[in-house]
Amino acid sequence: MCCQPPKDNDDIDELFEQNIQKILGAPKNINYIGITGGEPTLLGDKLPTLISLIREKLPDTHIHILSNGRLFSSPEYASNVVSVGDWMISFGIPLHSDYENDHNLIAGNNRAYQETLYGLYNLAMNSSAIELRIVINNMNYKRLPQISQFILKNLSFVSWISFIGMERIGNADTLDKHIWVEPKLYIPYLTEACQNLSMAGYDVRIYNIPLCLLPPTAHIFAFQSISEWKKYFLKECDPCLMREKCCGLFATSSKPFCGINPILHQE
Amino acid sequence: MYHLLPFNFTNIDNNDVLINELGDLLVTPAGTAKSIILHELEEDTDLYKTLVSNYFITKDPLPSTFAIYAERLAEKKRFLDDKTSLHLFVLTLRCNQRCSYCQASSLDSSCQNVTMTQHCLKRAVDLMFESPSNHLTMEFQGGEPSLEPKLLRIGIEYALKKNEEEKRDLTFVLCSNCIDITEEVLDICKQFDVLVSTSLDGPEWLHNNNRGKHNSYKKVINGISIVRNVLGQDRVSALMTTSVLSLKYPLEIVDEYVSQGFNDIFLRSLNPYGLAKNNDNWDDYIEQFISFYIKALDYIIDLNKRGIFIRENFTSIILRKILTPWNSGFVDLQSPAGIVNSVLVYNYDGKVYASDESRMLAEHGDLTFCLGSIDDDYDQLIFSLKTRKWADLWNNEVLAGCSSCPYKSYCGADPVRNYSTQGDMYGFRPTSLVCKKNYAIINHIIRLLVTRHSEVYPIFMSWIR
Repeated sequence: MCCQPPKDNDDIDELFEQNIQKILGAPKNINYIGITGGEPTLLGDKLPTLISLIREKLPDTHIHILSNGRLFSSPEYASNVVSVGDWMISFGIPLHSDYENDHNLIAGNNRAYQETLYGLYNLAMNSSAIELRIVINNMNYKRLPQISQFILKNLSFVSWISFIGMERIGNADTLDKHIWVEPKLYIPYLTEACQNLSMAGYDVRIYNIPLCLLPPTAHIFAFQSISEWKKYFLKECDPCLMREKCCGLFATSSKPFCGINPILHQE
Repeated sequence: MYHLLPFNFTNIDNNDVLINELGDLLVTPAGTAKSIILHELEEDTDLYKTLVSNYFITKDPLPSTFAIYAERLAEKKRFLDDKTSLHLFVLTLRCNQRCSYCQASSLDSSCQNVTMTQHCLKRAVDLMFESPSNHLTMEFQGGEPSLEPKLLRIGIEYALKKNEEEKRDLTFVLCSNCIDITEEVLDICKQFDVLVSTSLDGPEWLHNNNRGKHNSYKKVINGISIVRNVLGQDRVSALMTTSVLSLKYPLEIVDEYVSQGFNDIFLRSLNPYGLAKNNDNWDDYIEQFISFYIKALDYIIDLNKRGIFIRENFTSIILRKILTPWNSGFVDLQSPAGIVNSVLVYNYDGKVYASDESRMLAEHGDLTFCLGSIDDDYDQLIFSLKTRKWADLWNNEVLAGCSSCPYKSYCGADPVRNYSTQGDMYGFRPTSLVCKKNYAIINHIIRLLVTRHSEVYPIFMSWIR
């Protein structure tokens, strides 16, 4: 269901050099650097090298890494990456399901579940901040409440949990009928999952889902998650009173979500 | 074909309630336990997926994330890694009250030779620091320990001095009835950040009746307000004990706690020690205590629904075990048991006991659970022949009647209680009143979660988060 489908060509060395130059040339007052991919841990030992360079040149900049977490199943690698980042580093790691086979099917690899979970535990053992990312799709939405219970029991150490609406692009678009699900179908499951976690004191966020599709009780979880350059609103949104607080829609998606309806009363 | 992981089960309101070794609980359709065991479950159904992801069954002989299962089990037993952290110092048996159900063998405040010597106190502090635990709680008990302010100060100052080297996380608790709390004691509490744990049994007439004094209530309430003023609102907590008379007044007792501004109430039954042992018929008492508890808890839930935040502490302990990956830190519901593993008691006379209950037995001439004297070596006390014998009996996982109990993950083992009530440390569950009470209350809490889920779940979560 990847929105940025992997490419086969080996671009690691080339991009690594470019990134080194970018870090060397970066202004000192950057608050935040995101490292993503593809899968950034495929850099192997180059990733800690890159991170320690950021730490050296930009000592106050927080680093957030988006990774599938699988290679952190090596305790040494997890510990190495966290410590070169000097703990000013956080990790966004996806969990697709509480059920192993479903997670593996979605991730396209039959060791993904085990390695990602072990990776999460190894990162936690090193006291790093973890964002658990649940991208909602047709293969996992019905188990969102079970996933929330699984998190409470097995992943209680995560710093926050993000439920992410899909961008209709890449594999999410081309494998449409297996993957795509309209928010209106999953909203009840999503709301229950968010409430389970929130009641237990967890920080819960909903990304990429416009406010009009969420019940008012779930608005507190919604984030303005779509970057300005990708964000747009439909014509229907013109009279909406919540526009300022809404994440909007992906300009890059092939189709907008169904059921967009302006909110015409103040909350 | 799937494999089974260890779990027990029961049936509540036509649901199979399954509970595994980690304390994870699943409410499933009736008949689920049977189909699991007969390998009749259909694969890849939602129920099947839930059973796999919650470690009740596994596709491979061992789950692929077995290390997580192991880590989670270790977390539930983390109190063993924490070592002996609760150290009770019985400074004196002298007391300024004469409570009808006294469990602490208290004597009149004019009594001689029932107070710890300074030598003994310091030696007990030395022993406490022999415990490898990073967290040490020094809890002063009696009798009424506030009658010995000099000892309090000496004990705390000596411990703090030693802690300059030791650097443990030290907590001080004073168990006091608060009725004659003096400036001197308040100064000590303020200076050393001492928590005060007091007792309040309910409304004025009930409290006074239990305490055998006509003005005890006024003094306690006054004491609580003085302590709150000097130390802060949250520095004093109260415990209640349910006397035979109390059994008829669950609502009134809860109301008293609310009106005194407490957010916590711990509905505690009498225990069969000390003077309280001469009490009426224990079977009847436990039976009535269970109904008392259920009525009080229902009322507390109602209050919470009306926006009044008050939580019942026993329920909170059980809920933590059911709904979180952690245990509760409550030494009475532990397996391996709290005795020695988590608690040691230093008595006024220089004897060391396995638990508070152990020294109460000793006051009645039974030294079974006396570990030795404060002059002994720490290792000799902890690894004594006696302790090794108890160790065979302090895991409920291996006790008949406990090992097959659906609620064993939430309960504990208690050789001392078995011995004092049934005459043998192994205990006989079918007639055990502790078992009867714990089972009934845990069962009630789970029943609430099953039958009134949407109503109680948000309230329960607010109690434990």
